[in-house]
Amino acid sequence: MTDMITIALSKGRLAEQAIDLLEAAGYDCSAAREKSRRLILEDEKAGLRFIMAKPADVPTYVEYGAADIGVVGKDTLLEEGRQLYEVIDLGFGACRMCVCGPAALKGKLDQIPNKRVASKYPHITRSYFEGTKRESVEIIKLNGSVELAPLIGLAEVIVDIVESGQTLRENGLDVLEVIADISARVVVNRVSMKMKAQTIMPMLDAIRAELAKRNEPKEEVSSL
Amino acid sequence: MGNYRFHTPDGVNDILPEECRTKRALEQKLRTLFSTHGYREIETPGIEFYDVYAGDRFIAQENLYKLVDQDGRILALRYDGTVPVARLAATLFRDAPPPLRLSYIENMYRFRESGGGRQREFCQAGVELLGLSSAESDAEVIALAISAALKIGVTDLQISIGQTEFFKGLMEEWNIPADDAEDISRHIDQKDTVALEKAAARYGLSETEKETLLKIPALFGTYDTLSDFENRVNSPRAKAALKNLREILDILDDYGYTKYVSIDLGMLRSLDYYTGMIFKGFTYEIGFPIISGGRYDKAVLAFGRDLAAVGFSMSLNLCMTALRRQGKEPAPLTTDAIIGYSTEPGLRRLALEMAYRMRKEGLAVLVDCEGMTEEELSDFAEKRKIEQVIFLNADSCGCEEEEKK
Repeated sequence: MTDMITIALSKGRLAEQAIDLLEAAGYDCSAAREKSRRLILEDEKAGLRFIMAKPADVPTYVEYGAADIGVVGKDTLLEEGRQLYEVIDLGFGACRMCVCGPAALKGKLDQIPNKRVASKYPHITRSYFEGTKRESVEIIKLNGSVELAPLIGLAEVIVDIVESGQTLRENGLDVLEVIADISARVVVNRVSMKMKAQTIMPMLDAIRAELAKRNEPKEEVSSL
Repeated sequence: MGNYRFHTPDGVNDILPEECRTKRALEQKLRTLFSTHGYREIETPGIEFYDVYAGDRFIAQENLYKLVDQDGRILALRYDGTVPVARLAATLFRDAPPPLRLSYIENMYRFRESGGGRQREFCQAGVELLGLSSAESDAEVIALAISAALKIGVTDLQISIGQTEFFKGLMEEWNIPADDAEDISRHIDQKDTVALEKAAARYGLSETEKETLLKIPALFGTYDTLSDFENRVNSPRAKAALKNLREILDILDDYGYTKYVSIDLGMLRSLDYYTGMIFKGFTYEIGFPIISGGRYDKAVLAFGRDLAAVGFSMSLNLCMTALRRQGKEPAPLTTDAIIGYSTEPGLRRLALEMAYRMRKEGLAVLVDCEGMTEEELSDFAEKRKIEQVIFLNADSCGCEEEEKK
């Protein structure tokens, strides 16, 4: 008997890339391709059920076992801090989690006492400043357009993901410190990994094989 | 908002009759199981001094419910079964000759847990076996956990067994400092191979060593897994850990429990706390382990007595959720009979006597106290799905009873 596997995808580009990958790995994802507003897309024959969730909710679905597998950015994983198996780095959706601020602050970050830091990622911010830098800061939680904060004096610096750095530059900001490299990850519920191992392990192997195939021609770029 | 009078706080809930009956039945089965295995039940206070939990650093302070007593001392609600038992073993049981076999079925309180069937107040059943450090004692506790799950109807069960000493031995062999080992153990526990490969590069591990490291989170099996690793490690500490697991598997085979267990050396949590074998139990339809156990030989030492300890706990709430979702719910709770009577003298006594006799046989019997007529009684019984309706009137004075279906 093969088990029905529920996969939680982060709505948007990440979901599409994940579906492409799964299909290339030999899984029928036509259910997930359906253009509709439905949030649960099921293909009983393929034994797959897809749920389209807000990225920040994917780790939650997987931790609670509502989904067996999830595809989600490392940024969300770091922020949510859930008890999951984080099994594969998919490589796509690559960016960096950074401390950013006015270019003038470059190299001088440690000289500002009692910093105010604005971010969509309060947990990552806290663990970076308190854990890694051993420094207490005031964290201001924002929900978007975080770049505004240092421009209008709400905060000295921000913690945010940086892809190309375009938005930063246009607003006269720069990367001051890099906290972590981010990319999409496959996560698995801890119980599903045991109870549905016969279905999940081959799926993970197929994904790894497909990734290896994609990376073959070019040399592997060593990360930071 | 602001009127909390009608609500229960987050993470706690009322247990209604059907569920309560199920829970009591499970508790009773476990209580009998534990006592027939020689484990004696205890109750520890719901409120402990905060120092009991904080003293051993094993439980993060933000996870504890805290109160302050009239003398300004910090108290904590019972967080688990093990720490209070460790306190007992070193104090009231100070002179009791080991081994000690104790069990508990009690509510635990955890401040941060909530959601997905995990409650902030939940019932755990568990045992502690103190004063033995053999593989036999490890296996006894694992077998008892398996028996407990089977006893309450969790038959789709998988037990993963790990060994923290294996990992610690390996880290020694590779000269990796304790702080970094903690990081690596976290990566292994999350099966984060990306981070492990980086770590292998950072510590200059050889190609074979790197392969071993990456195999830890990837392999789970039984004897095959153990053999594979036995050929890969040299550290006596790691080798002893593998030998311990091999013995445990042998003993569990004698119990007839082989099919439920597998070895997972990548299960690595709370390395400070666990000092040997660790295990978790899983079933379908619930995203969290229902059983958690292991060896924690330093837990009692934190209270000043050097006493080996191994134990497990099982979350009854999670088990009940799993059983419900697996469609293994017991038959609905029913009332077997209702007895009504008309106003003639002497009938009430007759009704009460009849109820007394039926209840003695274990039937659930209601005696009407609303003065219902025969029709009203039938209606009432139909609505409440009460099988047997008995109505006594003048004709039944001769001790005949009129029965109606």
